[in-house]
Amino acid sequence: MSDLDEARRELQEALGVDAVLSDPLALRLYARDASMVEGSAGLVVFPRSTDDVATCVRAADAHDLSLVPRGSGTGLAGASTPIGDALVVVTSKMTRILEIRPEDRLAWVEPGLFNLDLGVALRGTGFTYMPDPSSQQVSSIGGNVATNAGGPHCLAYGVTSAHVLALDLVLSDGTVARVGAEGPEASGYDLRGLVVGSEGTVGIVTAVCVRLTPEPPAIRTMLMDFATVEDCAATVSAIIAGGVVPAALEMMDQGIVRAVEAFAHAGYPTDAAAVLLVEVDGIQAGVDAETHEVEEAARAHSVGSIREAESPDERALLWKGRKAAFGAIAQIAPHYHLHDCVVPRTKLVEVLTGVYAICRRENITVTNVFHAGDGNLHPLLSFDRTEPGVLERVLRSSEEIVRLCVDAGGSLSGEHGIGLEKRDFMSLVFTDDDLAAQACVRSAFDPSGRMNPRKVLPDGARCGDFAVAAAGTDAAGVGDARRAGSAMPEGTWI
Amino acid sequence: MDLIELGSKEEVRDTLREASVRGRRVSIVGGRTHMDKGNPTEVDIELATGGLDRVIAYDPAEMLAVVEAGMRIRELRRVLAEGGQEWPAAAADDATVGGTIATGPSSPRRLRMGPLRDTVVEMELVTGDGRLVRSGARTVKSVAGYDVHRLATGSLGTLGAIVQVAVKVRPLPKARRVVRTPEGGLLAGGRILEAVPLLSAVVATPHRIEIALEGWLQEVDEQTEAVRRAAGNVEVIDGEGIEGPEAIRAPTVVEVAVPPSKLSAVLDEESDWRALMGVGIAWVGLHDSGERLAALRGRVAEAGGIAPLIRGPGGLGDAPVPALGVHRRLKAAFDPAGILAPGRFWAGL
Repeated sequence: MSDLDEARRELQEALGVDAVLSDPLALRLYARDASMVEGSAGLVVFPRSTDDVATCVRAADAHDLSLVPRGSGTGLAGASTPIGDALVVVTSKMTRILEIRPEDRLAWVEPGLFNLDLGVALRGTGFTYMPDPSSQQVSSIGGNVATNAGGPHCLAYGVTSAHVLALDLVLSDGTVARVGAEGPEASGYDLRGLVVGSEGTVGIVTAVCVRLTPEPPAIRTMLMDFATVEDCAATVSAIIAGGVVPAALEMMDQGIVRAVEAFAHAGYPTDAAAVLLVEVDGIQAGVDAETHEVEEAARAHSVGSIREAESPDERALLWKGRKAAFGAIAQIAPHYHLHDCVVPRTKLVEVLTGVYAICRRENITVTNVFHAGDGNLHPLLSFDRTEPGVLERVLRSSEEIVRLCVDAGGSLSGEHGIGLEKRDFMSLVFTDDDLAAQACVRSAFDPSGRMNPRKVLPDGARCGDFAVAAAGTDAAGVGDARRAGSAMPEGTWI
Repeated sequence: MDLIELGSKEEVRDTLREASVRGRRVSIVGGRTHMDKGNPTEVDIELATGGLDRVIAYDPAEMLAVVEAGMRIRELRRVLAEGGQEWPAAAADDATVGGTIATGPSSPRRLRMGPLRDTVVEMELVTGDGRLVRSGARTVKSVAGYDVHRLATGSLGTLGAIVQVAVKVRPLPKARRVVRTPEGGLLAGGRILEAVPLLSAVVATPHRIEIALEGWLQEVDEQTEAVRRAAGNVEVIDGEGIEGPEAIRAPTVVEVAVPPSKLSAVLDEESDWRALMGVGIAWVGLHDSGERLAALRGRVAEAGGIAPLIRGPGGLGDAPVPALGVHRRLKAAFDPAGILAPGRFWAGL
């Protein structure tokens, strides 16, 4: 009997027959996430508790299998795409809200809970969970933790890391650790801060203690349109430079506005080159003052019209336009590749112009909807993958876009992560020593190397290199490391 | 003990590399304003980073400042004020940016500003064996690789010497005001917290509540009215910041961190404290660090919290450290010779 068969039998015995899938259809379904990369799964397991997850981890150890944690599978970078005969641990049956404690401004939830369901459960408590990725209807809190997810409202409130107090984590040796604390500070190094954003490579999160934020008493939401992308982006810079940090500052270009309007009917102006969705919140007097400042900044940059939501329904409609963007683009072409990189705010126009030029050259349709206040770009490349040669053009454009953002002083990813798709770009921004240090951090958590291997770091990065380098040689410069390609590890394909 | 003052990252790197080879123990010092935090440690060398004091990049439109770690808080404040901004850290003028990040003090304004750790987005760290390691990015958000800077923040100089950081900064409030109520206690503090939205701080003391308001003047006025409705006769002081642990005169100050609802159980027996309502931090003044400290730590442990000393002797306490194996492997990777402030950190690390 092979290791896989034995592992399946053991897990079926421990977790129940229904909790383990190994039929060809299931293995095919769980062979990829929402990225473009496909791999292959050995077994798919649906634990219902921390103990179940620990059982999975021990089985993987006993039968020499690698582990791939997975929430809703909405990840866009391939962190949940299994390689080889991996054991895929799906948290979608762990969806309970364990407790809500407004007096401590926290809630404990299981990782498979949808982000939006937590928001719904908090209604009427006066508190909310701030991170609101556009995928929030279907993405899980555990997945949000894995990618340190953002969302429109992270401009003023910070990304997921700022909203996670503690985590229960099953380590690769099967032990369970609670990192962080229900209180404001914890003993030891900030392992919590390290785990958030580690893309399921240091352990499997089985419970999340989230920080609750009081709901703002007043909100104003505005939609502004501009005749040029430059004016729109300049308005963003002017708002920030004027000392105002809105709750959200979202920009959409004409291509995406037209797609959204045909789909969501939110009343967006389809003749504008770009629109800006601005939300300010807080105390009424402050909200009014900020609204005034925002409108002044827009007028100074030739805003066309300013439409303010007059009711909660109208506000919801304006937001529907923004959040439905990724559904709407199916009208443009059947497939899309969604990019994610962050650039300094002051470089937004320069980088956007570059993105348009790259896609024009490669004859790929590109639309843009993004968190302008954060400098977090999301170029959306639309295509039909049955068209011969189109995938190569998409991948070539993607690589050029990454290089463009990095050259502008940006980061490889703002909120989607590195996963498989960007791991070979890591040496564009980090030296060999930087990467070796990161490999050390990872192996401090997972000496076995079993936990979601070959994700995040390029294959060459090893903790051991760090120790060897310590013996004498100087750090290699970033310049030497500019040899990144976009090769995928063996056992995966696009 | 030798004191070595360094002015460049290369010097820090060479010095630590040599210290590792020779097994000389090193304490990294900035402005010496947070030296009481941590367990007692014996070292052979003090490595002062005050010479690393340049601004590397600062554009107010980016709301980020990139500075060398030895820069004094006073100087950073001046630079940022020219851009109409601030870094909301609570540290003395003489403290350094790196020292502040390594010791992670809580600000009394934490209710609104969040913890200091969330402001650090990029870091250059020289490891115990002298390697320069950078993590994070100079953007307001980034998820690219493992955030080594998260581990170094609050690590009390036991994983490396912080030599440069990029921190998120924010607009200076247009108006700031402190409001004091005549009645003290946690219950009264809790009532203010409930009644007034978006406060920067509600500091409860046994004898009065101090409330920090900041924002637009209209906003601050609206909040002041709300405080009046909740607390009656109040004293209003414009343009002043709120005080933190420095307002406690006792020779020993403990920084308690517990879930906010546990503050009352912890502070019940104490008489000299300042508690951050809605946050769960309380600074407690003690006149000795013997039995009283042990009793306080016992109550804090029951509440699931920690109680390190930030003034006077007494160390961090013996709260359990999760995933101790992970901690040990991290320490071994970043400081293989074990020369960085041995034993200063939790669990003898």
